[in-house]
Amino acid sequence: MTATPPGRGRTPPEPNGRRPQRTGPDGGTAVRPARVDGYAELRDYAVVGDGRSAALIALDGSVDWLAWPDLDSPTLFAAVLDHARGGRFTLRPDVPHTAARRYLPGTNVLETTFTTADGTVRLTDALTLPDASLSPSRELVRRVEGLAGSVPMRWSVQPRFGYGARAPRPAHRAGVPVATSGTDAVAVRAWDAGRPRCTADSVTARFRAEAGTRALIALSYAHQEPLVLPARAECEARLDRTVATWRRWADGRTYAGPWREAVLRSALALKLLVFAPSGAVAAAATCSLPEGIGGERNWDYRFSWIRDSVFTLDAFLGLGCAQEATGYFWWLMHASQLTHPRLRVLYRLDGGARAPERTLPLSGYRGSAPVRVGNAAAEQLQLDTYGELLQTAWLNATAGGRFDADIARRLAETADFVCGLWRRPDAGIWEVRSAPEHFTQSKMMCWVALDRALDLARRRLIPGRHEARWRRERQAVAAFVDTRCFSPRLNSYVRSTDSDDLDAGLLLGLLHGYRPPGDPRTRGTVDAVQRLLRNGPYVSRYLGSDGLPGDEGAFLACSFWLAEALARCGRADEAVRLMEQLIALANDVGLYSEEIDPATGAFLGNLPQGLTHLALISAARAVGEAVR
Amino acid sequence: MSLWAALAGGFVGTLVLTTALRAANALNLTRIDLPFLLGTVLTSDRNRAKALGYGIHFVNGQIFALVYYAVFAAIGYSSWWLGTVFGLVHGLFAATALVSILLPLVHPRMGTPQTSAPDVALLEPPGFLMLNYGTGTPTVTLAAHLVYGAIVGGFSAWPG
Repeated sequence: MTATPPGRGRTPPEPNGRRPQRTGPDGGTAVRPARVDGYAELRDYAVVGDGRSAALIALDGSVDWLAWPDLDSPTLFAAVLDHARGGRFTLRPDVPHTAARRYLPGTNVLETTFTTADGTVRLTDALTLPDASLSPSRELVRRVEGLAGSVPMRWSVQPRFGYGARAPRPAHRAGVPVATSGTDAVAVRAWDAGRPRCTADSVTARFRAEAGTRALIALSYAHQEPLVLPARAECEARLDRTVATWRRWADGRTYAGPWREAVLRSALALKLLVFAPSGAVAAAATCSLPEGIGGERNWDYRFSWIRDSVFTLDAFLGLGCAQEATGYFWWLMHASQLTHPRLRVLYRLDGGARAPERTLPLSGYRGSAPVRVGNAAAEQLQLDTYGELLQTAWLNATAGGRFDADIARRLAETADFVCGLWRRPDAGIWEVRSAPEHFTQSKMMCWVALDRALDLARRRLIPGRHEARWRRERQAVAAFVDTRCFSPRLNSYVRSTDSDDLDAGLLLGLLHGYRPPGDPRTRGTVDAVQRLLRNGPYVSRYLGSDGLPGDEGAFLACSFWLAEALARCGRADEAVRLMEQLIALANDVGLYSEEIDPATGAFLGNLPQGLTHLALISAARAVGEAVR
Repeated sequence: MSLWAALAGGFVGTLVLTTALRAANALNLTRIDLPFLLGTVLTSDRNRAKALGYGIHFVNGQIFALVYYAVFAAIGYSSWWLGTVFGLVHGLFAATALVSILLPLVHPRMGTPQTSAPDVALLEPPGFLMLNYGTGTPTVTLAAHLVYGAIVGGFSAWPG
């Protein structure tokens, strides 16, 4: 279903991917929602969540992604991956309209204002947080307020359990429309929102939103337990409390540097990726949103990557999220225990190590197939993870954290393991599916692993019996990197041994301290990345092959890493200019995806992308310090 | 049948159970650590939690030995094999309800499926059959409880 049929009433995008805008009634920017072949632009999605699951809501009010009960569960709505089969919850004016939206300040509660010729309507969306009353296991609440005039509204809930595999026929139970499938059930509660009618595969209704009136629609979900059918007053109160709870959390953030709004929004987006039951942090809320439209680079990001751990812990500590930092570090050490001393590239949110990859019979976002769940990268060897783990532990220690004897022993054993492992080729930070290589960034991070282990041993936080070996191997890694992985011609480190390719991941090795910021080779590498991988604010990950056909967009985290590297190298003015450009690339509610198409500004890849928001937070803090 | 023998069996059984689980940790079979789970009910200091947890764990071992003894006394018979049967029931109860469901409900630092933002669990919930702590966890836990039951049953049968 399209809010506006393709080719009719759709405003063409501007070069930066945005449609012409005008100021909305609440100061936001009002645009006419549009779809192409049934799909909204990825840039048009906002996310709401409750710390356990998350929903993507398009500018036209359609909930096109919702995985229940957990972030990594099969979906109830997946129209973003298959507009015909995925399932969705549409709610919008039944007449031509524009839409403007924002998050309620300091919250993850979304507010969309629809303006029509007949009047204005405000839609407030949230996955509510449970309270003292008997709350549904999971709940999506949508409040519709008539602000002016009389607006005809139409809504439709099309539940499709199991990634679109099961489309049960909804039926009324005690007057409430309910759809069930196996041990899952969803109830549709509606008050002053028309008379819900059950069709073959959906629950639909129409109503008029009159000025001064308020309607409410709530989805109540149950998994392996009876449905809870809340009263309207409970839903209303829970929505209000959800707003207040998010505001309290946002008020507790301590950041006072530049780009505060963007940093706070990034913190809130990151908080949505924290899986509250375990403390794990997912890389993104979605799976298989394409890195190239029509391409096959479609991955499931609903796992926690070791790669992101340093930025994650650093962001939590820097923003005053002590609880999240401790929870994450505990989770990280617990999750990696079973595979010790070997690290998996990623772990499931429940701490499990297996993430078998399979494809789903969905058409994919705008035909971008295959749609994958699970992630085969879990099986890869990525040497950089060891550096990330030791660096994360080191950050935790420098922030006052202490290790118990078991964790201290494991960290020391991890350093021992790196001594025997670093000479092997690996898949690298970008998880290439071509043959393993000696990636420079991987080796740099092995150096970081041993360097941090030595420092932790010096502080007597981990056993230092093998310090001499760690020191010896650290020197051997440095000798390897500085002789085999540096190009005098480019005056830069290169992607892998004896190549002349560049890789933006090198910035990461430098940011983690492989060489100091003032070092000529650091400066040379930063210059080379600017020269060869940068295009305006956009930075490509690499230019070499990766074993997959097709192209991808510019990787947003790399742009923020470049800004941070510039700041640390003392080039604050350049860093500020780049940051200003990057901050402007966010969508209308301040979110980022993984990648962006430099030609059109279109979002690509999964969203909201934790690494992008983490990189933003880290860069903003670094640039802020450099400017001071 | 002897109460003191049952208590002695509870002590030795807990010692063996704890050692077996610790060995399973070292062999990367499971991440379950009962003393740690119990101790973190009282403190978030990891070292102190483990020390306290061992104490609580041994007290629990004595309490369960008393429950075993009460049932042995009620039916007027005890033996190592009947203790093993009790251990089987005990282990299944621990895996499906006690640790999986009841402990997260009373544990202030452990997540449950209902834990939501802005809270964050410090300890991940065990999940059904405690599988979140590794696929070997139910097997290891059940085996350890079978041994515990056999020891308590065998000790209880000691002539009093």
